[in-house]
Amino acid sequence: MTPIVHVEKLSKTYSVTDREGGLKAALKNLINRKKRDVKAVNEVSFDIEAGEIVGFLGPNGAGKTTTLKMLSGLLHPTAGVGQVLGFTPYKRERAYLSQMTLVMGQRNQLIWDIPATDSFDLNRVVYRLNPDDFKRTRDELVDLLELAPIITKPVRNLSLGERMKCEIAAALLHRPKVLFLDEPTLGLDVTSQRRIRAFIKDYNAKYGATVLLTSHYMADIEALCKRVIIIHHGKLIFDGELSQLAHQFSADKTISATLENPPENTDAFKVYGEVLGYEDGQIRLKIPKQNTSAMISKLLSEWSVLDVSIQEPPIEDVIEHIFASPKETSA
Amino acid sequence: MFFRLIGLSLKVNALSELEYRANFFLQIIQSALSLVIGIGGIAIIFGHTDSLNGWSANQLLIVIGVYTLIGGVISFIIRPSLGELMQAVRAGTLDFTLLKPQDAQFMVSIKKFAIWQILDIVLGLGIITIGVIQTATTIGIGQIFTFLLMLLAGGIIIYSFWLMLASTAFWLIKVDNILFIFESMYEAGRYPVTIYPTWLQFVLTFFVPIAFAITVPAQALIGQLPIETGILALGIAIAIFILSRLIWIWGLRHYSGASA
Amino acid sequence: MINIYKVLIRNELLVELQYPLALAIWMLEKLLEPIIYLAVWTSVAVSQGGDVNGLTVADFAAYYIALLLVGHLTQNWHIWTIEWYVREGQLSKYLVRPIHPIHESITNDWIYKLLMMVVILPAMFLLAWLFSPSLQFDFGAILRFIPAICLAGALGFLGGWVVGLSAFWTTRNGTLVQMYFLMMLFFSGRIAPLELLPDFMRQIAFILPFRWIISFPIEVLLGWVAPQDAMVGIGIQFAWVVALILLAIAIWQMSVRRYSAVGG
Repeated sequence: MTPIVHVEKLSKTYSVTDREGGLKAALKNLINRKKRDVKAVNEVSFDIEAGEIVGFLGPNGAGKTTTLKMLSGLLHPTAGVGQVLGFTPYKRERAYLSQMTLVMGQRNQLIWDIPATDSFDLNRVVYRLNPDDFKRTRDELVDLLELAPIITKPVRNLSLGERMKCEIAAALLHRPKVLFLDEPTLGLDVTSQRRIRAFIKDYNAKYGATVLLTSHYMADIEALCKRVIIIHHGKLIFDGELSQLAHQFSADKTISATLENPPENTDAFKVYGEVLGYEDGQIRLKIPKQNTSAMISKLLSEWSVLDVSIQEPPIEDVIEHIFASPKETSA
Repeated sequence: MFFRLIGLSLKVNALSELEYRANFFLQIIQSALSLVIGIGGIAIIFGHTDSLNGWSANQLLIVIGVYTLIGGVISFIIRPSLGELMQAVRAGTLDFTLLKPQDAQFMVSIKKFAIWQILDIVLGLGIITIGVIQTATTIGIGQIFTFLLMLLAGGIIIYSFWLMLASTAFWLIKVDNILFIFESMYEAGRYPVTIYPTWLQFVLTFFVPIAFAITVPAQALIGQLPIETGILALGIAIAIFILSRLIWIWGLRHYSGASA
Repeated sequence: MINIYKVLIRNELLVELQYPLALAIWMLEKLLEPIIYLAVWTSVAVSQGGDVNGLTVADFAAYYIALLLVGHLTQNWHIWTIEWYVREGQLSKYLVRPIHPIHESITNDWIYKLLMMVVILPAMFLLAWLFSPSLQFDFGAILRFIPAICLAGALGFLGGWVVGLSAFWTTRNGTLVQMYFLMMLFFSGRIAPLELLPDFMRQIAFILPFRWIISFPIEVLLGWVAPQDAMVGIGIQFAWVVALILLAIAIWQMSVRRYSAVGG
């Protein structure tokens, strides 16, 4: 089976103008603008199969949005191949645009002063939807996202979470087969985030839609994506199961031990490894992976331990660790 | 299809505008004031003379009518939509339009209507009618047909011109000023371009095509349009429409090639 | 206070210099209106055998060239900025700062006006070359012009602020701003020197503040106003400035109160 999304050595280079602060620089800049090339996306390759939900991670400026925009046809790649559903996105063929959608968390397409339902109507005509199909999809979306009470209010009167739900509904009225979601939960409260997460999962299960999703909230990723792709400084540094991520990138494990006779302070534990926390008699230590078993035996022999557990560090920490590393992180 | 989209966009915009009903009354006041300026200007001028460079007061009234009509069309659809386009390019919201399976130029051109400006369109037609009645000469079907044809050509020229201006937003950041230029240049259309010094007539004909949009249709209605000018207007309408389309496509390519 | 202005001036210069094209375009825009009415009145004067009510073609040229300068020094585009801020709920940005936003407005105003003199002066020379005006400056007139134009500038600025801020009461007051400019066109002496207006209009023009912004400084500069009358006029300008300052303060306070009540 051919993959739904096929990306091969996809690159995007921007030419940016460097500017120093100050009046002198501004005057100089009038005459002579210095340009510099920035590789926003650098030879990224991956495939996504039908029905997958893939998390797309990377710190700000890593090239996630640029990649999504290339895949949705908004940007021309500088080099490489990006194909979705067999189409070349930047040609912006009607058949392609009718089958995909891009949701951007911070932007909205809904018309500010009128109820969302009127914006939905506009999309019906724009996407040339059959009135019956449209109605069915709309009602379904209204149901799934619990929009009934809010789609008749002017968009400007909606809360951020409500607006985002309407945005998502508007983006899905034409039942796209491929969804590019760029920070769909950004700035939302925990309840709204959870609702949107659940919806994406439902939609994917129901229609077998393929989803590529970026989010700053690891909870989104953990709840939705089995597989993640990580880019950093424009380069792909990881593509695989989320569960493998910690294994591959973390050099450490976390050990939690509950002590029978907790000491006053944690000085005595520094010989084992870095102390992450200490409260209610429970100590948490970060220990290099290869030393784990040695250190546990040492701990057990030297202290009276009620309970001990070994964990992979939390995924947030792993990610933070990856992103904090300098440019040439090897996978 | 196109008409349905236009209709729906009109409806959506009307709904938006209805949220701000006070604007309707402000628009009435504004149209009235604009009318007062036009007529007042004529009154002041013709208080001191009988003819302005060969144009009688009633003929000038027709010019004001066309000025109001075309100005109404500009502020009814062209300016709101293309102004929104420039905003969208800057804010990145043009993305949404580009994601839609429709011609992007068409979509941005009908995106926004300033509904109440329709008053100016009606008013313009009214003034033209009054001007025609007052000139007390019979106006033949041919004249009316030429007038409508010239009006259409003028509309296309103005739209294409605006599209080219708006497309500069793809390259330049602070371009609203370009529109200000046009607005004030448009003011020059209140009077027949023939009263201006030759160099300015040239500018108003070929750089900012106000002559074709206002003076030429007015001349057609009065029956004083040289045939060559009429043909030239049609030719330019077609040429500039194609040119603006090319610039738009070029700009779009630039947008999708460079914007972050 | 001076330090604040120093920083504001620097930032403003930085912003303006970033858009050289914008500056050029504004210049073109400024040239046009005087040219339109100059052309109209030249046309009328010619058809009337050389003069209208004693104003010759050369007088019109002098009047509209002076209008270019006066119009530039008294214009206020903040009216749009403020209206936009209010409409888009951006005003909070200014309200949270410890300095009154009018300082930024004033700086912006002066930097821009001074900067643009670089193009206004050549434009005036260009028009002088194209239309050969009758110029007979006397030193006293120029001396009287200085307070007249300063007060006119203050009037234009305050008027813009008052109208711009009124956005609070109309949700979208673009229309109100346009009305302001339409009135300005008619009653300030832009569409025609005031003495060519019909009587009733001239009377209205004398009641409204607009003529004190445009036609009065022009006439003072061209020496069309007798010295004593100029002094009286400057006094009236001053009274208008005081009145508008009070109005601006009142409207600002009401706006802020209303803004904090409604929220942005």
